[in-house]
Amino acid sequence: MVENKAEEKTYWRFSVLHRFLHIVVMIGFTGLALTGFSLKFSTQVWAQVVVSFFGGAANTGYLHRVCAVITYGCVVVHILWLCYYKLVFKGSLTGPQSLFPRVKDIKDLYQHIRYFLGRGILPKFNRFTYWEKIDYWALFLGMNTMGLTGLFLWFPEFFSRYVPGYFINLAQVLHLYEAILSVAIKFVVHPVTAHLRPEIFPMERSIFSGKTTKEEIMLKHPGEWESMIASAKDSPPGHLKI
Amino acid sequence: MFCWKYLAKQFLMRIDFSVISIGLKTWFLKEIMVIKKSYAPCKKFLVKMIISLACLSVLSLTSFHGAIKKGWAITERNPPSSWFINMNLFSRSAHSNLTCEVCHGTMKEDDKTHPDPKDPDFLRLEAKRIYDYSHCKTCHLQSYDRYLLGEHAKALKKEKESPNMKEGVKSEKRNAPTCGDCHSAHYEKSHLSKVKIGRKMTEICGSCHRAQKVTYLEDYHGKTAVHLGHEASAYCTDCHGAHNCISLKEKKTALLICQRCHPKAQERFAEFVIHPTIENGAKETKDNIEKRKKVAVIKTVSVIMFCLVVLIVSFFYGHSLLWLLRELHEKLRKH
Repeated sequence: MVENKAEEKTYWRFSVLHRFLHIVVMIGFTGLALTGFSLKFSTQVWAQVVVSFFGGAANTGYLHRVCAVITYGCVVVHILWLCYYKLVFKGSLTGPQSLFPRVKDIKDLYQHIRYFLGRGILPKFNRFTYWEKIDYWALFLGMNTMGLTGLFLWFPEFFSRYVPGYFINLAQVLHLYEAILSVAIKFVVHPVTAHLRPEIFPMERSIFSGKTTKEEIMLKHPGEWESMIASAKDSPPGHLKI
Repeated sequence: MFCWKYLAKQFLMRIDFSVISIGLKTWFLKEIMVIKKSYAPCKKFLVKMIISLACLSVLSLTSFHGAIKKGWAITERNPPSSWFINMNLFSRSAHSNLTCEVCHGTMKEDDKTHPDPKDPDFLRLEAKRIYDYSHCKTCHLQSYDRYLLGEHAKALKKEKESPNMKEGVKSEKRNAPTCGDCHSAHYEKSHLSKVKIGRKMTEICGSCHRAQKVTYLEDYHGKTAVHLGHEASAYCTDCHGAHNCISLKEKKTALLICQRCHPKAQERFAEFVIHPTIENGAKETKDNIEKRKKVAVIKTVSVIMFCLVVLIVSFFYGHSLLWLLRELHEKLRKH
């Protein structure tokens, strides 16, 4: 049985860059949440323990900024990769197999909810399903807005030259609520839908190994298989196979 | 017909809860067996690791807890000044090297007599309101002069000039503070750390300025200074001054204060709202109207954000929960 598994043909789902960025964002995001919330909820004892572990409020704030720079660095690297992918590999950034939102996603969502209620079958997902797209866009857009409000709080003297000072209050409010939103989604919904649900318990390995099999593709996103057959390729163009 | 009741009924009918609970048990037992088998070779090592890690974390947590109890406990408040002295506390205070006469010796010169026990008001007057705190000036000259320039002294003057105020009588409304209202002459200890003084002053200032205390502690300055003990952050007196308690409603003075820590701050920096609160009886001055507008904007934005967060989170949680139930159902049906 083990030999059979070894012989099974594998296909590339995530390139080495994507896997690396996923791990870095994971660490950076956890650091941001831990330091940020322990500063915000400083009346709580656990927050004071965390802050004393990091060495005081100033150091915790410093670490928060370091994590922010690391996480936003990932966004910048990702944007550079997108340009490279488009210009050099002539890849498609908006096609049906890409992460670009399409009308099909809304139809998929509707059909998926019908499936939850036992009134329909699973929709035929493409390479990236609608919840994967939501995960991606939530992080991509969220990082930019969080980055902007975060910069307001990092350099209040600079920004208050151009806008009234109470915009810093607004930035605080937006930064807080968006942080709560992203933590509530990313630390609960993302692990559940991507790793912990019974279909793929205990975890989705392809984001760390990059490899997937025909069986998995047919099960999780069968729409991709058809396009792969049509283009007769093992992986999307410009894939770094390591 | 799209009917919620029908949908819910259909959904509940399709889930057999007894099957789920029994199935979950067998499923978890199976998973645990798989995990047990795969970790059997290094079982002893793993057990030792887990036990040592648990011991370490408990130890470190208890040590942290000790640090919290020592440094972060809210400082005890001194007993209020009254007609009687607790000598145990007095002998440990900053003024313990002074004799009574140093402060109370001039009673006869001030034309004051010892309170008469037969007087119906005996011991009912507030000691703090009767004592002439200008005696403090002999040692604390700078502080006293600063106090005379500040808002508290102005309020005291107004209070004394008003016709219905009797000396020593507790007024129904708040009293304008003298030295004794903030400092306990008999029990105040000296050489406290900056953080301890800061925590104490937050309590003392906050006993009258309640809304300001709450909003200060919600602000990043208050959080880091009081709760996290970050000395470089600002306590009450770092902005408002220790004895010349000044109002910072005027933007020009406020900016000067801000610039002591934020040297690059420009004019509009001072529009930042630290105490987003306005007292109910406040006059409708230009500053107050402007501030009220700002507070309204901030509150509206936070309410909108809160509703958005609740909506989005509840949608995604519901979505994931439905999905989990469905997949559990499918998985158990296959067994």
